[in-house]
Amino acid sequence: MPLIVTDYSWTQTDSKVFISVPLKGARAERVDFLSTEEYLKVHYPPYLFEAFLSEPVDEDRSTAKVGNGVAVITLTKCSNAFWEHLVITTYDKEKKKEVRERALLKYQERLCSESRSKAEKQQAEKKYALETMMKLEKEERDRILKRKEDEREKTTAELAAWQLRQRETAEGEAKLKLQDQRDRQNKLKAPTEKQEKGCSNGAKVKLDERGNSEAKSQKTPALLPTPRRSANIQVRFTPRVFPTALRESRVPEEEEWLQKQAEARRAGNADVEELKDLREEERNPEWLKDKGDKCFASGDFLGAVNAYNLAIRLHSKIPALHSNRAACHLKLKNLHKAIEDASQALDLLTPAVPANAAARARASVRRGSAFCQLQLYAEGLQDYQAALKLDPHNAALQADTQTIRDILQGSATGTH
Amino acid sequence: MSSPLDKPQIISHFQKSLNYTVFDSKWIPCSAKFVCLGNYARGTGVMQIYEVQQGEAQLIKEQEFPKPIKCGTFGATSLQQRHLATGDFGGNLNIWNLEVSGTPVFSVKAHKEIINSIDGVGGLGIGDGAPEIVTGSRDGTVKVWDTRQKDSPVANMEPGEGETKRDCWTVALGHAFNDQDRCVCAGYDNGDIKLFDLRNMSLRWETNIKNGVCCVEFDRKDINMNKLVATSLEGKFHVFDMRTQHPTKGFSSVSEKAHKSTIWQVKHLPQNRDIFMTAGGAGNLHLWKYEYPSQRSKTDSDDLAVGVAGSVTLLQNATLSTQPIASLDWSPDKKGLCVCSGFDQTVRVLIVTKLSQV
Repeated sequence: MPLIVTDYSWTQTDSKVFISVPLKGARAERVDFLSTEEYLKVHYPPYLFEAFLSEPVDEDRSTAKVGNGVAVITLTKCSNAFWEHLVITTYDKEKKKEVRERALLKYQERLCSESRSKAEKQQAEKKYALETMMKLEKEERDRILKRKEDEREKTTAELAAWQLRQRETAEGEAKLKLQDQRDRQNKLKAPTEKQEKGCSNGAKVKLDERGNSEAKSQKTPALLPTPRRSANIQVRFTPRVFPTALRESRVPEEEEWLQKQAEARRAGNADVEELKDLREEERNPEWLKDKGDKCFASGDFLGAVNAYNLAIRLHSKIPALHSNRAACHLKLKNLHKAIEDASQALDLLTPAVPANAAARARASVRRGSAFCQLQLYAEGLQDYQAALKLDPHNAALQADTQTIRDILQGSATGTH
Repeated sequence: MSSPLDKPQIISHFQKSLNYTVFDSKWIPCSAKFVCLGNYARGTGVMQIYEVQQGEAQLIKEQEFPKPIKCGTFGATSLQQRHLATGDFGGNLNIWNLEVSGTPVFSVKAHKEIINSIDGVGGLGIGDGAPEIVTGSRDGTVKVWDTRQKDSPVANMEPGEGETKRDCWTVALGHAFNDQDRCVCAGYDNGDIKLFDLRNMSLRWETNIKNGVCCVEFDRKDINMNKLVATSLEGKFHVFDMRTQHPTKGFSSVSEKAHKSTIWQVKHLPQNRDIFMTAGGAGNLHLWKYEYPSQRSKTDSDDLAVGVAGSVTLLQNATLSTQPIASLDWSPDKKGLCVCSGFDQTVRVLIVTKLSQV
């Protein structure tokens, strides 16, 4: 329950009423004022001072000062009349309640409208600020644009002027040409006339003629040198490890292939017991391959197979050895072994790059012919076609592929 | 600090949209006209002549040909005649008198495949000696023609017997400072650049810049060769200093990466041989200036002279379209005026300002 403050004091002048309310120890921040034109309330818990003013006051022009333990409220009168009493005491409870509520409502309304107007004002100011910013930026942009336009117009004007000058010079030249032609015609006529007249002007005429011919020679272009003596220059294009331009090269695969080859060369399996007493050169796969090739060339197929066997035992990853051994087995009619070796060679020849195309073609051909000799013509044809794709211009290969195809078709029709 | 507006500006004067693919555009010397070469969608070639009038291009003449035209040059005609030499998709070299339509002045089946690039020297008052035209083709050969000798080329640079052939993408003539000397520089699609000396009829220098060479140009045709710019795929171009040739190292160069895409063309300003413009595959143009080093050559460890390359600075760049700009030509009469055409079927006339103050 709030405590009603009754020990207030008031004075008045013609236009103002001063009310002094003791604050009874309350702090300044805790004092709450509510004033309308007929009602005044000062609330500082737990104390409450309210006054039902006898005359209306102008609340907008009323002020309140809090300090020194009192609150001094200055109310501006609506009409400059002398007040008998500050408050109306004859109100009953109902009336008081009404007045209070009215006052409260009014106060709230006032606050609302104040806040609304403040918001609107803020909005307006923001808008103004934005507009000025935009205007400034636009001006900047326009300035730059204008400079560019000026440049452009200047150069366009120069261009037009230059064109005009060109035309004028062209016309001038044309006129000069005409003039010249006419002069030449006149001069041609002149000597004949002058000769009739006599030789006194002969010298002069000669001078004129010479002058004319000089002018003429200046007009004719200098004689061009004769055309060059024809020649051919042969060019060679840059070799690369893989002869493809950078944009065509399949570098990752080619790197892989190179690595594989290097590995195969390095990996030597020389720990096998029986091979301990081999001579140094017999461990070298190159030397063994050479030996095998020589044996093959001289017809000693078994010897070649032996050499390749040893080489493969030492270095199992070199595809050339498998491929050559396949060829030997082919000659020895060990067809299944030939197929095995050729397949192994083809496996080792991945990834497929242009560098090992020839090797792949050879291995395919060997496997293909082994299949055909086993009468597995379909598989044989597959291999021959693969080889043909790698080496399309080989006539022998084409002929062989054709024969196999004929045999296949012949056998197919034969069964019908 | 100079403001951005003090640098040369690349301003688009106007652009004209065409209804055919235009491969090449060239100024007609001593006039405000330019010629556009290309091909219609129906597979025939077209040549159109436009005149620059009041900020617009007026079509003056149009002519259709049986085969699409790839490239053209005015380099080998006199200023009075102004005949255009063109190379077409069928490998024919024709020289046309632009006033007269119909039959060409000179015609020869130069190559078996498309002529990719053509250049001329000895005409227009540039270069001493006989006018010659060089053509480079997809069949890997580079041939030099003299119009007085119709059946066979004056010089033929072809791959040897049994050699794989690479497409020749670009040719340029230079070093034509007296009657006898000429040099032909050819760029190939595997990155080879070869310099042929026509006086000795031999290969003078070759190198490989790894990526296919799209365009080569000497900075001036009629002087002792000074600089050569070669542009390539993948946005790189090389500027070679051609004054000092080392027996093994060749010519020294500086290379620059720009454009982030193929650099289709490079053209030097006729009025200033140290300024050049490159046109890129993303429709952008870059204007460069070459600065010479303090010493153009030095002696290396073997007491042989080796050249020193300078540096290149970017003056300005502009993006004009989204499609590659395939051809670029400076006007020899007005400094800063250039015409460029791109694969977006438009031809643009540009003005580059402030080139005198660079």
